[in-house]
Amino acid sequence: MMTYIVFILSIVFVMSFVGFATKPSPIYGGLVLIISGGIGCAIVLNFGGSFLGLMVFLIYLGGMLVVFGYTTAMATEQYPEVWVSNKAVLAAFITGLLSELLTACYVLKDDEVEVVLKFNGMGDWVIYDTGDSGFFSEEAMGIAALYSYGTWLVVVTGWSLLIGVLVIMEVTRGN
Amino acid sequence: MKPPILIIIMATIMTGTMIVMLSSHWLLIWIGFEMNMLAIIPILMKKYNPRAMEASTKYFLTQATASMLLMMGVTINLLYSGQWVVSKISNPIASIMMTTALTMKLGLSPFHFWVPEVTQGITLMSGMILLTWQKIAPMSILYQISPSINTNLLMLMALTSVLVGGWGGLNQTQLRKIMAYSSIAHMGWMAAIITYNPTMMVLNLTLYILMTLSTFMLFMLNSSTTTLSLSHMWNKFPLITSMILILMLSLGGLPPLSGFIPKWMIIQELTKNNMIIIPTLMAITALLNLYFYLRLTYSTALTMFPSTNNMKMKWQFEYTKKATLLPPLIITSTMLLPLTPMLSVLD
Repeated sequence: MMTYIVFILSIVFVMSFVGFATKPSPIYGGLVLIISGGIGCAIVLNFGGSFLGLMVFLIYLGGMLVVFGYTTAMATEQYPEVWVSNKAVLAAFITGLLSELLTACYVLKDDEVEVVLKFNGMGDWVIYDTGDSGFFSEEAMGIAALYSYGTWLVVVTGWSLLIGVLVIMEVTRGN
Repeated sequence: MKPPILIIIMATIMTGTMIVMLSSHWLLIWIGFEMNMLAIIPILMKKYNPRAMEASTKYFLTQATASMLLMMGVTINLLYSGQWVVSKISNPIASIMMTTALTMKLGLSPFHFWVPEVTQGITLMSGMILLTWQKIAPMSILYQISPSINTNLLMLMALTSVLVGGWGGLNQTQLRKIMAYSSIAHMGWMAAIITYNPTMMVLNLTLYILMTLSTFMLFMLNSSTTTLSLSHMWNKFPLITSMILILMLSLGGLPPLSGFIPKWMIIQELTKNNMIIIPTLMAITALLNLYFYLRLTYSTALTMFPSTNNMKMKWQFEYTKKATLLPPLIITSTMLLPLTPMLSVLD
């Protein structure tokens, strides 16, 4: 199973994308986005980008999606729409899932997919590999430099992010 | 807005402009601009009516686009010069992009369309902050890159801004729109002189900020936003009416008031650089500005509508509206002309 982990994860990735692409209410869209973000992070981890995957969790899920969740919670309606509440949404959801399963069977049958171009793996489309990296991960060294030489930058960017959240809350509050 | 949030947001507006003015790294300058823009959005949206929301949306869109253009100019400069320090921009594409972005932030023509609409949709206090404090940061960056600005581009923008500011304000009765077109015209005067003598730009900016602050504070005393309500001021605040008279004349650039100093210096610097037609055109179109200032003074201070005798003295309690630092502001906005020889310390 471990040799096919990236394949399985990418199928689940697309299926969770189907989950929010069928447009339930934003609360449930955000829920599925968390799951798909986590799975995307796992795919990146499998290609060797350990730092980048953790950044996805920290910044994307822990920063942006949290703010999205706060604002959606302030602006949501009393009975938000789920996947099974509306026939159109349910139909789109099932169509998306079935298409993904069909594509997965197509790939498993032939071991490659040719729709517009030949596609048999992601390779180095995911992680930018410069080749000669030495002993230390460059990304970790960059973060270390940020916290030592770039203290002012951390202060400024941290304050900007705080202000971003405060302003968004203030604007959405509306009374 | 709750007081702690208001304090944090006001502090961030000031911090953003300070970061822009005091940084030597282009990334920090961009961060300062974004911080400033983010923090002023709730100030613009103080009243939650659709007009204010539309105004703050327009402001946000234009300023964000300008920041993106600035970032592109910074990146192109990085590509060609290999460094992030704010200094002479050798690549002309980067220089033009940065100039365009900064003039978008200032509201110079042809990017002036947002200024009247945003100023009209917000309260007088927010409009005051928008037209004075928000001009400081882009002007400081234009000052820092002034040796590398393309003169033709900026002079064209300046000339068209003076024209637009003059003609656009002619048909207005709303005071906030009048001040917006006044701002466009004054920014045009400032932009014309940057490539020749940036110090005069700083002089013009200082005096413009002083005059605009005084004007807005006088409007806020009466909470008047239209010419009509300004014309009813004569029996409530006769002294304020006289102040509006000299302040409007100073904004129009009439000697012997201090509004004449920047115009005089700018025309002098331009003629020192062998430009005759452009300062003549700018001086002539400044008359359009003077016309609508004069119209305001005419209806405010020089005319009384026919009224019965018992309306001539309005009873009221002593008014408690605070006008911060209004006397020094009015004095500096009107009486600084005799100090002009002090500019010789610059030589």
